[in-house]
Amino acid sequence: MRKSFITGIALVLVLAAGWTAFSGQDSQYLERLDNWAFESPRRPGAVFSHDDHIMDLDDDCSICHHVYEDGKLVPGESSEDYYCSDCHGLKPAPDNSMPLEAAYHKLCRDCHFDEGQGPVLCGECHIKE
Amino acid sequence: MNSFIAFIMGPMVWISAIIFLGGLLFKFIGIIQSVRSKEPYVFSYLTVKHSLRSIGAWLIPFFPKSTRLSPVYYGISYVFHIFLFVIPLFLASHIVLFNEAFQISWPALNDGVADWLSLAVIAALVFFAIRRQMVPEVKYLTSGSDYLLIFLVALPFITGYLAYHQWFAYRWMVVAHVLSGELMLIMIPFSRFSHMLTAPLTRAYMGSEFGNVRHARDW
Repeated sequence: MRKSFITGIALVLVLAAGWTAFSGQDSQYLERLDNWAFESPRRPGAVFSHDDHIMDLDDDCSICHHVYEDGKLVPGESSEDYYCSDCHGLKPAPDNSMPLEAAYHKLCRDCHFDEGQGPVLCGECHIKE
Repeated sequence: MNSFIAFIMGPMVWISAIIFLGGLLFKFIGIIQSVRSKEPYVFSYLTVKHSLRSIGAWLIPFFPKSTRLSPVYYGISYVFHIFLFVIPLFLASHIVLFNEAFQISWPALNDGVADWLSLAVIAALVFFAIRRQMVPEVKYLTSGSDYLLIFLVALPFITGYLAYHQWFAYRWMVVAHVLSGELMLIMIPFSRFSHMLTAPLTRAYMGSEFGNVRHARDW
């Protein structure tokens, strides 16, 4: 009884490890985001598939490339011609309530949580180089 | 799976923190009530001055005489206890999460340094486990639950170390890391981890009895 229990646990662990190893970041369009805007990044740039997101979001660029005016989202306006860092400064300030790092984390992770899919843990995007 | 992760990294953190702090508060009230009913005369000589004097003396590494008699054990114990708090509180990844939740931030440890310090904490726990086997008077007082508690403290550090290096089963390693950290917090009021509350209370009692009754030092 006890032996079969231990074998069962071991089997579950092996299957879990295998499942994780072969699931997740499997897009053929995966690229690594350039993190030049950060002064001294602690983590490698996130891996990301722009093409997959364009398909998943039905070509609505403004979902990620949003425009905020006076703290309010401007519906339908998009900002693909700007860098994220044009609006989101590195350090928090009265006129910069969403610093660059938090902006990335919130935009990506919150959507992945809301949609119930996509990476949400640190090392799922910041994969070691 | 994402909703499970959202739960253990969201509401479950609050639940753990409330059980940890609330449990310690209840334990504190229980201890005070128990002293009040069994040995109320303790309060006749308990003073803030002698309590703080004893707590302070025992917070300074190798200041109390008995700590100098077992320098290796106390040395490892000091290092272990300091880094048990310093690593999780000053880890860059933890501060990022704090910052996103509460918009507060503070300086972080270098990741490479934290990585090595985590190994030191795990090594200290291995030392504590071996000591329980090797030192006869400690072995006599040791039961299985002591090893379980040592393992419980080691688990968040082991899983955190493995997750940071992303060697295998990353997602499961982080899940295990978060859950084991929460389990450790929840266990504090209900296990010998509660010495984070009772140790200062013991010092207050001893410091007051030695200082205020016998007019002696308790270090």
